[in-house]
Amino acid sequence: MKPTKPRPNYLGPVGWVWAGNYKLERYLYILHRITGLGILLFLLFHLTATTFFRIQGEAVWNSAMGFLSNPLFKIGEFLVVVAFVFHMVNGFRLILQELGFLMSKPVPPIYPYSDSLRRKRRWTMAFIGIIIVLCLVFFYDFIVGGW
Amino acid sequence: MRRYTYLWLMQLVTGVFIAVLLGIHMVVQHLEDILLFFGVNLNDPTSWQSMIERSRQAVWAGIYIALLVVVLSHALNGLRNVILELTPSPRAERVITGTIMALGIVVFLWASYVPIALLYS
Repeated sequence: MKPTKPRPNYLGPVGWVWAGNYKLERYLYILHRITGLGILLFLLFHLTATTFFRIQGEAVWNSAMGFLSNPLFKIGEFLVVVAFVFHMVNGFRLILQELGFLMSKPVPPIYPYSDSLRRKRRWTMAFIGIIIVLCLVFFYDFIVGGW
Repeated sequence: MRRYTYLWLMQLVTGVFIAVLLGIHMVVQHLEDILLFFGVNLNDPTSWQSMIERSRQAVWAGIYIALLVVVLSHALNGLRNVILELTPSPRAERVITGTIMALGIVVFLWASYVPIALLYS
């Protein structure tokens, strides 16, 4: 019989971008982390803009806002909105599932294996649907609001 | 281990608060065209005039400072969780925790000064 070589479960830093044996939820975890770090970076820029520029009066504020109305910044802002929407809706999913909701009862590990999370995959897909709808709402506002 | 459980619980609770407060912030600041469709006119919320009007109201100063507190605790605790997944030594962990807490206190003092100063301007 041909010996099979199992794929290792330990991924190390590669696990930050590749899910290995894990499936969709692991990619959501990676995206949750990336969006979280991205929003933290944005927060520091945002606090700088809304404190240092605001405290210096109207002229400085208006020139800063004029500089930030550049289309590149607008695209960046939209990406922050997408990251925020993803992080918020996926965070709600995590809260519910970590507290044991939206998960099916555990079953004995008999082949073919299934896990409690994957048997409720349609809830995960519903949350992804909410993310897409909210992103489209904000995209509409970005288009209508002008660049 | 118990304090890690409390930190996890704090992450959940602050997450819900952020969803509410940042939801208000995002809808007011960015969905003005959709609000206009529903008959609410905010007159360009990023303009200087509209911003000064908001900063004179104690409610908005309260919302901004509350948002700052929950966002900083959630974001910096999340950053700590990401760094601690690299399994540093206990000594390195204490240094990381101390640095992140100091960063949070500095950012809070710096950023909460402005809404308070503008409230009394």
